[in-house]
Amino acid sequence: MSGAVARGGGTGRAAIWFGAPAFIGLAMFVLIPVLMSLALTFTNQRLVSPDPGEFVGTENYQRLLSVSYLVQSPERDAAGHIVTDSAGEPLYARARSITRTDPTFTGYRPMTEYRWGDKRVSILAKDPEFLRSLVNTFLFALLVVPLQCSAALLMALLVNAGLKGQTVFRGIFFSPVVMSMVIVSVVWAFLFDKDLGLFNTILSAVSFGAFQPVDWLGNAHTAMPALAIMSAWQGAGFQMLILLAGLQGISQELYDAAKIDGANAWQRFWNITVPGLRQTITFVLIVTTIAALGLFTQVDVMTQGGPQNATSTVMFQAIQRGVREENIAYGSTISIVYFGIITILILLQQAIQRRRARLNA
Amino acid sequence: MPATLELRDIRKEYGGTEIIKGVSLTVAPSEFLVLVGPSGCGKSTLLRMIAGLEDISSGDLYFDDQLVNDWDPAKRRIGMVFQSYALYPHMTVEQNIGFGLKLAKKPRAEREARVEEALRVLQLTALRHHKPSQLSGGQRQRVAIGRAIVRKPNAFLFDEPLSNLDAALRGQMRMEIGRLHQRLKNTVVYVTHDQVEAMTLADRIVVLEGGVIRQVGTPMELYERPSNRFVAGFIGTPTMGFLEARLAAADGAGISVSIGGGEASKRVRLPFAAPAQQGDAPLTLGIRPEHGRICPADQALVFGDVIMLERLGADTFAFLDVEGAEDTVAVRLPHDHEAIAPGTRLGLTFDPQHCHLFAADGQAVAKIQP
Amino acid sequence: MTPAQRKRLPIRFALYALLALLSAIFIFPFLFMLASSLKGNDAIFADVESLRAVLPVGDLTLDNYSAVFQRGNIGHFLINSVIITVVTVALGLFVNSLAAYALARLEWRGKQAALVVLVVLLAVPLEAISVPMMLLVTKLPGLDFSEGIALTRSWLDTIYVQIIPFIANAFSIFLFYQFFRDIPKDFDEAAYIDGATPFQVYRHVIVPSSIPVFATVTILQGLAMWNQYLWPVITVPGEEARPLMIGMQQFFAARRVEWGEVMAYASVITVPILLAFIFFQRWFVRSVVGSGVKG
Repeated sequence: MSGAVARGGGTGRAAIWFGAPAFIGLAMFVLIPVLMSLALTFTNQRLVSPDPGEFVGTENYQRLLSVSYLVQSPERDAAGHIVTDSAGEPLYARARSITRTDPTFTGYRPMTEYRWGDKRVSILAKDPEFLRSLVNTFLFALLVVPLQCSAALLMALLVNAGLKGQTVFRGIFFSPVVMSMVIVSVVWAFLFDKDLGLFNTILSAVSFGAFQPVDWLGNAHTAMPALAIMSAWQGAGFQMLILLAGLQGISQELYDAAKIDGANAWQRFWNITVPGLRQTITFVLIVTTIAALGLFTQVDVMTQGGPQNATSTVMFQAIQRGVREENIAYGSTISIVYFGIITILILLQQAIQRRRARLNA
Repeated sequence: MPATLELRDIRKEYGGTEIIKGVSLTVAPSEFLVLVGPSGCGKSTLLRMIAGLEDISSGDLYFDDQLVNDWDPAKRRIGMVFQSYALYPHMTVEQNIGFGLKLAKKPRAEREARVEEALRVLQLTALRHHKPSQLSGGQRQRVAIGRAIVRKPNAFLFDEPLSNLDAALRGQMRMEIGRLHQRLKNTVVYVTHDQVEAMTLADRIVVLEGGVIRQVGTPMELYERPSNRFVAGFIGTPTMGFLEARLAAADGAGISVSIGGGEASKRVRLPFAAPAQQGDAPLTLGIRPEHGRICPADQALVFGDVIMLERLGADTFAFLDVEGAEDTVAVRLPHDHEAIAPGTRLGLTFDPQHCHLFAADGQAVAKIQP
Repeated sequence: MTPAQRKRLPIRFALYALLALLSAIFIFPFLFMLASSLKGNDAIFADVESLRAVLPVGDLTLDNYSAVFQRGNIGHFLINSVIITVVTVALGLFVNSLAAYALARLEWRGKQAALVVLVVLLAVPLEAISVPMMLLVTKLPGLDFSEGIALTRSWLDTIYVQIIPFIANAFSIFLFYQFFRDIPKDFDEAAYIDGATPFQVYRHVIVPSSIPVFATVTILQGLAMWNQYLWPVITVPGEEARPLMIGMQQFFAARRVEWGEVMAYASVITVPILLAFIFFQRWFVRSVVGSGVKG
């Protein structure tokens, strides 16, 4: 690039002009919000309020992330026997009364509880809804990532198998990706309907009537899995294309050589396809996970976090608290925590890539 | 054990077109057979059918009298070396070579012994833990060969293995392959488009064109007695020169043809039998570069303008644009040729005993022996 | 057919069956949506147990569609979405490709740092910054066009709040940058020798050689803007500047059990996109692969 270097000054000035709009835009609408967000988390600023926020230190973080536990022994009667309830289970003092009165537990509320021998261990948190949403978000990721990625791999293998009409099939599998998640949510809300939904109808038909209709979105145990199925359906086509590109990058000669060496289809898959796809698969897994952790639209449209917070996610909480309940400082805190989780994942991915590059060298 | 391969009227059809049109061939045990031909002649397809990577549309393939048409590649016990070597990228050299044995569930001791031997024969021992990405082209080539020989196959198949190497390396690898063959004495079927490779390595050459065998023979047979114009023009470098010749007269001792264009045409007497053909179609006279001779105008049979000189050091060839010849005619120049430059008009002559004659249909015309 | 081919027939059959099954899974929801949009609630209920649920047969009606157009105000939202998408993408193509050109082809002092910053920004998901971004736009002085031109206190509830923050896009810049880097510099240098300015090189050398990446960015950005939900849901509560997706969500929330009408609304939004996809499938595929493979 001797010409441009020789003109150092000229192109330097041009570069500033060329890059300015984009970089100003990025600075204003990406960089500044991140910094603002960070600053806000240490205040108690509200969204619309005449008062400016006050500095509150790490109070927001404490409230968000504080977790504790309470161990209780069962109640005993005067003779020292364990008092049981009508179901035969030991009775314990109400955790709530303890948290409300005991000064070491101010601000905490019970979240869940477990039995440990004859003791009861209660997990307490200052913001149980948020922690619940954190668990839900990871649960969702745990459900959707394997489902979506294995479906994508299966479809990529099928489309690449050299059968007739593969362009048509590829188009069919990819078509949900171009749909807006809002549309997909609305249609699947219909599909999941207890009485009119196609989902229940097909399951009934396939099981010859043994299957009872389920209110998928109204049942706390089935709501998240239902969202996972729907999200995998919408997104699998995207990963399929990426995996397909990876598959097509594997030389056919490798498969020929393996055939001559005596490998059957399964052995060829494990020894050529899988290693050849390793990098692509890692990329797909990480990208899908990061996208899954940002779950918002489906929840907002279909379930609004319910039933009983079963589908509340981190982003949903961020919007709910930060915007709808106007506690912008707290909403920012949630956003920062979310950002932190994503960043850790990305750094993990880069570390894996670097390690792999070193191993191969 | 080196196998006998026999192809009986092998045909391959693909999407309505016949690519291989009835090829019959026998490869003797330990023979090094080379399949040559221009791009698209079907040589790779034929090789892949022998390997079992492509279906045979019709015809029979025998390995040592066993019909193997439906056999999987692995069952045929062949070793194959591909153009891009096809080394498993995530395995080391050692693992690449031993992969086939591992799949065949050979006991570990035997496997390691054989891999060790292959590494030694191909001088790869120092590289055993390297991955293919860390190897040079020639080294990868040797690993590919190692992978093929370690399973002690009945036959070796090579699919244009040297095409991806640069010229210097190609010569070197050619020698190594030749030496390896002398040592291991396998049956080899070797595909290439490079006729120099064919001439160097082959016990016999099969010239393929458009899915049909044009001639089978030893390298020198093909060189000295090509049975048709295509083979004559394909084998030998620089290419044989072809002149248009018209039959003027024929008798028991030979024929008379006129060559050169228009008014400058001369009559030459050639020791060939009269070709059995209808009509007046022109014959083709073929002259190898080393049999043509630059001469003064009065002795010349044809004239040509020098287009280009090819200086190979030991020999210099002149390429001439000759009237009555479609392509350039190459002539080997004598050592005192300093004055000849492109554009010079030269007279050309040749010894009728050292030329070839082809009928209008391309078939060689029988020479009358003195 | 050779015996070898005959042996493989059952496998091919199984593969085709699998493909057909998967295709059904991907097509049925659409068919269900379209078929139900043409039926009244009674027909939907009646057809539910049978295959007729996915087929537009029986008592068909266009009532749902007329309800959507009348009650749903869909035309207005459609126009909003079109404006938002077209303006953002058009301006974005220009702004982002220029910045990428500066990074890929010109020498300037902060270039290395800018590249690092760009890569870092790539990792920031929209969700993470939506909340603070929203606070930011409420503090920005906006323009109110309802009576002449007047300054208002924030950007909320406007068309431009859905456009301006998204013109500059780190991912688009990155895609352009990768592509421009692969264009041989010989062309640039020839143009410089002929006396061209950097902008002229951009216009006459780089852009014409970059049609594929421009198409890719157009498709990816266009889809993203068209399908946007999170941002407008928190910044555009009103109806005037509402885009199509929010319109769908509001309609769904309001008319939840009127499945026929809801499906009609969804169909109106979906069918144009599907048609565009069918015609330009190759471009869509290329865009996705181009963006993913580089990652």
